[in-house]
Amino acid sequence: MAKYILKRLLYLVITLWVIATLTFFLMKCLPGTPFDAERLALMSASQRAALLAHYGLDKPVWQQYFIYLGSLLRGDFGTSFMYVNQNVAGVVTNRLGPSVLIGAQAVVVGVSIGLALGIVAAWKHNSLIDYLTMFLAVLGVSVPNFVMAALMQYYLGYKFSLLPVAFWTNWKCSVMPTLALALSAIAMVARFMRTEMLEVLEQDYITTARAKGLNNMKVLTRHVIRNSIIPVITVVGPIIVNLLTGSLVVESIFAVPGVGSLFVDSIKANDYPVIMAVTLFYSAFYMIVVIIMDVTYQLVDPRIRLASGSGE
Amino acid sequence: MNMYKKILALVLAVVMAISLCACSAGFTDSKSSAETAAPAASGADNSGAEAPASTTAKTLVAYESAEITTLQQWAVSESQAFDAMNQAFEGLYRNDANNEAQPALATDCQISEDGLTYTFTIRSGAVWSNGTPVTASDFVFSWLKQMSSDATNGYSFIMTDYIVNGAEYNAGECDAADVGVAAPDDSTFVVTLKNPCSYFLRLTTLPMFFPLNQEYVEGLGDQYATSADTMIYCGPYVITNYDAAAGVTFTKNPTYWDAANVAIENAEIKIIKEGATALNAFLAGDLSMVKLDASNVELYKDDPRFTSSANFRTEYLQFNLDDPVMGNVNIRKAVSYSIDVDILANAILKDGSVGAKGMIAAGMYGDGTSTFRELNGEVNYYDADAAKAAWAKGCEELGYTPEKLTLLVRDDSVTASVATFVQDQIYSTLGVECVIDTKTTKERGTLMDENNYQFAITAWGADYDDAMTYLDLYLVAGDTGKSTHYRGNYASEEYNDLINKAKVETDAAVRLDEMLKAEKLLVEQDCVVSGLYHRGAAYLIDDSVNNFVMHPFGVNYEFKYASFN
Repeated sequence: MAKYILKRLLYLVITLWVIATLTFFLMKCLPGTPFDAERLALMSASQRAALLAHYGLDKPVWQQYFIYLGSLLRGDFGTSFMYVNQNVAGVVTNRLGPSVLIGAQAVVVGVSIGLALGIVAAWKHNSLIDYLTMFLAVLGVSVPNFVMAALMQYYLGYKFSLLPVAFWTNWKCSVMPTLALALSAIAMVARFMRTEMLEVLEQDYITTARAKGLNNMKVLTRHVIRNSIIPVITVVGPIIVNLLTGSLVVESIFAVPGVGSLFVDSIKANDYPVIMAVTLFYSAFYMIVVIIMDVTYQLVDPRIRLASGSGE
Repeated sequence: MNMYKKILALVLAVVMAISLCACSAGFTDSKSSAETAAPAASGADNSGAEAPASTTAKTLVAYESAEITTLQQWAVSESQAFDAMNQAFEGLYRNDANNEAQPALATDCQISEDGLTYTFTIRSGAVWSNGTPVTASDFVFSWLKQMSSDATNGYSFIMTDYIVNGAEYNAGECDAADVGVAAPDDSTFVVTLKNPCSYFLRLTTLPMFFPLNQEYVEGLGDQYATSADTMIYCGPYVITNYDAAAGVTFTKNPTYWDAANVAIENAEIKIIKEGATALNAFLAGDLSMVKLDASNVELYKDDPRFTSSANFRTEYLQFNLDDPVMGNVNIRKAVSYSIDVDILANAILKDGSVGAKGMIAAGMYGDGTSTFRELNGEVNYYDADAAKAAWAKGCEELGYTPEKLTLLVRDDSVTASVATFVQDQIYSTLGVECVIDTKTTKERGTLMDENNYQFAITAWGADYDDAMTYLDLYLVAGDTGKSTHYRGNYASEEYNDLINKAKVETDAAVRLDEMLKAEKLLVEQDCVVSGLYHRGAAYLIDDSVNNFVMHPFGVNYEFKYASFN
């Protein structure tokens, strides 16, 4: 297992290098410069030259690439253009905090409530609770999160004063963004779990288990859930990545200083070092989640072997 | 059961991870941490002695709709950062509640007979928040910096246009010593201008003109202004926390020279990108003021907290004098007379906008007692009969009746409704069809630059509080003998002479007279443009806040004069 994980981590580093290279040259193809055209037009030639030299943008692109790669190896993500003289690593970590907290909470809320609803709905198939759950799931998938966010903000925040309307001053501020993000996760997980479970419930081995005299609870926990949860893990991976990387819309509705808007703003502003740092973070994060998912498969279902080499 | 233990372990790990990020999530609540201990922890070197006062005191909270990406004076180019700087720093002069420049870090200014030499006396007792006195050399350093190649905000022109050798210094053609800024001693700051400039004192209220302490700024190098702890302040407030995406928090500056007249202890500028969020936050009591979207104005206009003002910004019809039809002055006048701008402002826009009766925005500086607009009266106005008569005369001169007119506009929703109104007014008064040609802002600009339009809706906002900010747009460009295509190809020697004379005139009354004549010529007589409206801004201001001063141009607001009742 350790060997397997090590191997995957090595691949991760290589993939990151490929991504860094691709992003670097793609970025350079973006029209414009990190400094807005109107402002540049107002500057004198000497000011422009000094500005470009300060950021090393006067050098040929290939040279800039190696300089960047070199400092990256030393763990230096460079200095932001947009946030004048701010260290990129600092800017990105500052903005990741809120997004990761909201995202992680949304994952926990979304997956746990989603699983519970899905299990209950399938177990009580065709009952009122099943219909209610599925109604909720359809709602959750079809109502965009920003509509939910706006409604919550108006009613929970302003009308009933239960939670802060917006901002990022204390933990309470993270509740509404979390719920807004969790809703679609709840819906997706619930629907998936229910479908999988209904299929498993039809299987012969469930009938066998029941025939052997196992009580309902044991059938459910030992056989049904364990067998239906594997495909669900597959959807949970992308959900986690999706939620933890920040949502531009929900963050801007709740005025949360998260990473979602940073990524969009940095691309609009051609802030190369920030684009690179956020891209690398997103990629690394995605790959790590995939590795964790693969390991989890094995935990849940020992039939899946991750053994490297001959096993495949 | 082994699997469940593993899952339990996983769940526990996740919970721990979350609580870990909750700790590092960077909540910006300064109050909760400050409630028990005075905020001395943050800016050790610049938080003054008398901070604790009242932790439960109300905070004045304003907001901006875009991030404050930098506070480095020579890099700041966006209004949200200017707004923040205006509270924590100060220039030689500061605008008062009536938008008049009043002595601030300078106690007074002697202007030489020829209007070229300004001798400012720096206020004795003015200090930076670290205790260093504010001296004339702080101004020399910062103004030179703004004119040097270090400045990245694109605002060097606002000094180099006026100050002797500024442009040469900017181009690297002369030494700092040759530039018209000097500090003969600590309390005397002398500025030498190329030409007399009647509004120069008003320029010194702008953030580009604020002082910087050379020793402090150079000591920090690239780190200057990257956080609240890497700045020293000379304004009514000091910054206690600066976060580009969350905003800026302020506390009263105890070392400020006029601290006795600063009533509010704590203030904040938040960043809220969504208009609806800002309104909800205001209604919930989290904001002291909120700017209303046009769609909300109707709903709140009878609210006692409602206030609106017109900015120094004019939306107007730009006629293209090269166009065969619009080349006729009577046709232009017919169009101008047929539009009732009061109906446009009060019945269509309804957002605090004011009908434009000329090119210069209502409220802009005139002679000190009356505004420019009051002095010059209405130079474009509604008169249906005159419109019909002018149309008939114009058609006769042309030898035919134009079948239709084409109005070029940009594609935002407000301009769309303005254009529809203009179309309707022209049709009902003159009986001629007006086609609306809607293009993106960029495309519209390109078409106008290429001289490819008949008439267009365009706008100009004042850079400074003087009519010249509008009037010199219509000077002859290069050796074409006309103003630029964008400005309608206006060719009038008389106009050109008036403006060029006003630019070097030392007698304020004569200069004003020349500018008044020039506007009459441009709008009333030659009808190169016709005003539509001055854009309004509508706000709700919390009723506990008194005297929250907002300016119609430049920096948007002042915390200094505000108080709670």
